[in-house]
Amino acid sequence: MSVLSDQAAALAPGRRPGLWSGRRSRVLTLLGRRLIQIPVVLFVVSILTFWLIELVPGDPGRNALGQYATPAQVRAWDVSNGLTGPITGRYLHWLSDFVSGNWGTSFVYQVPSRPLVFGHLVNTLFLGLFAFVLLVPLALVLGSIQAYREGGRTDRGITIALMSLSSVPEFVIGVLLLVVFAVGLNLVPVESGAFATGDFAQRLQVTTLPAVTLAVAYLAVLARMVRTGTAGALTAQFHRTAVLKGLRPAQIVRRHVARNALIPTLQLVGIYLGTLLGGSAVVETLFNYPGLGALLVVAAERKDPVLLTDGVMITGVIALLALLLTDIGLILMDPRIRFEAGES
Amino acid sequence: MPAVELGPGAPGPPAGRPDADRPGPRWTGRLAFAAFTRSWQAQAGLAVVVILVLFCFLSPLFYRTNQVTVQLNLKDLPPGGSHPLGTDDTGYDVLGRLMVAGQSSLELGFAVAIATTVFGTAYGAIAGIAGGIVDAVMMRIVDTLLAIPWLVLLLILVNYLTPNLWTIILLLSILSWLGVARLVRGEVISLRTRDFVLAARTMGSTSARIVFRHLIPNALGVIVVSATFSIADAILALSTLSFLGLGLPPPHADWGTMLTNGLNDLFNGYWWLVYPPAVILIVTIIAFSLIGDALRDSLDVRLRRH
Repeated sequence: MSVLSDQAAALAPGRRPGLWSGRRSRVLTLLGRRLIQIPVVLFVVSILTFWLIELVPGDPGRNALGQYATPAQVRAWDVSNGLTGPITGRYLHWLSDFVSGNWGTSFVYQVPSRPLVFGHLVNTLFLGLFAFVLLVPLALVLGSIQAYREGGRTDRGITIALMSLSSVPEFVIGVLLLVVFAVGLNLVPVESGAFATGDFAQRLQVTTLPAVTLAVAYLAVLARMVRTGTAGALTAQFHRTAVLKGLRPAQIVRRHVARNALIPTLQLVGIYLGTLLGGSAVVETLFNYPGLGALLVVAAERKDPVLLTDGVMITGVIALLALLLTDIGLILMDPRIRFEAGES
Repeated sequence: MPAVELGPGAPGPPAGRPDADRPGPRWTGRLAFAAFTRSWQAQAGLAVVVILVLFCFLSPLFYRTNQVTVQLNLKDLPPGGSHPLGTDDTGYDVLGRLMVAGQSSLELGFAVAIATTVFGTAYGAIAGIAGGIVDAVMMRIVDTLLAIPWLVLLLILVNYLTPNLWTIILLLSILSWLGVARLVRGEVISLRTRDFVLAARTMGSTSARIVFRHLIPNALGVIVVSATFSIADAILALSTLSFLGLGLPPPHADWGTMLTNGLNDLFNGYWWLVYPPAVILIVTIIAFSLIGDALRDSLDVRLRRH
């Protein structure tokens, strides 16, 4: 904040208060509008998820009890797990439970759904954070190297290498990493499930391979974005002006290049952070990592409406908040971006 | 007037899009096409795609193999003799299977790209032009679908369909038009306020004319680039579906199914079941990415991939 306002003061001394307050009011407008819209979207998400999973053919009671159970047993099981009755009534029941914070019980795991969802959420956030710690600095470095060497052999080499890497399906990268590091070198356990809740060092160890897999999947696009942003800033006229008027390189990079390069990158990081929870499901399933993505996959496959809807609500909240924060960040970084009425 | 040449005003607040006032679409189009065909990415990518299409659709006419009946007596043969790339665990010739599988992978890639581009463009353009409450409602629908993790949505939707090439095309299209819609809407909103649109409106153009004559041609660059990338994304997504066991049922195949099956045999040393589908899948995706890159560079599009 102070950096931004200092800069605003340096750039346009006369207009500083207006510039800043205009920006703040835009942030507040956006915030206000979104804080009304987000609950509406979440409400629709919950209806959609609940109805879609309920209307799927198949009988959870029959699945749970097996083919030798009598129809009466199946019926009794359905009743005891709250799977009978009109769907609207059950949805309203779920909704009142959810809003009151006293979430229902997952029939697949036979435990309350809230601690289950939050426990897995923490694991996924750990995984995602780990992946981003690996990913973001690497993407920034590679992308800027490319931009400063645009068109050269280094640029081309990095482009091809990153493109090849991102063309390998996630599951292939995961399996190859497992074969080399878990089976071949025996550095990490083959499956992360049992160890992911241990102490920090152990968690770090079992999360490494899934995090590397995730980072590899996102690296090429992110580096590409850094390259495009940086290259755009380097060829812009304000960059030439800055060089010609003799600014120090560090200052040029910090004030003119970095801010421009970071705008598209930040946008992408925000979107990825939002989709990370859903996007990591394949990796989590592959490594048997106890994350929210893998939990939702199980809930969808076993048709557990309570667990699934609860989990989807949480991923929805995080995705929407990530988008909101990204948009706010964009307004603060780039005064030209406007979210017009109705746009947001 | 050096000061004018040096740039608009003080340094600092980030520069606008370099193409803020680009000339008419016709001129840009010809120039962009020239830049596109000159770039090494475009040449390499297009060459690979042509070779792949010929390989998958034409070569089966000359290289005839049995890809329907299971022959366990020919199971897991190493490369050599009448099977240049060996056979898989049901006795299918791997080289022939690569061709057949490639047909489904490429068809799906193109079909999903076309479907998502057409629908996403129409949706995004309508939302962007309508503005106001219509736009808000349409975009919140997109947000709603984006808020549900795609894999979960897929696992639910897959229950309603019997897997075959067409239903999988439908499924992947349902999941991937959202990004295109957001992209096109953003582009339309930024174009809507430009002077040439205002001029057209002042001259009495109908909304439809403004959309088809001014907005869509100007947004075409972004749309084409995103369509190219969505081919690669669809092929990659299909391979992930296969890995999850939701791909095409046998005897049909795609490269992802072949690769997944091959990975199961990784420890038996059956390398010819892993490397050929992996290499062809990766080369295909690289080829489409190269074309997309070249298009983006030549159209000078600052693409926001969602």
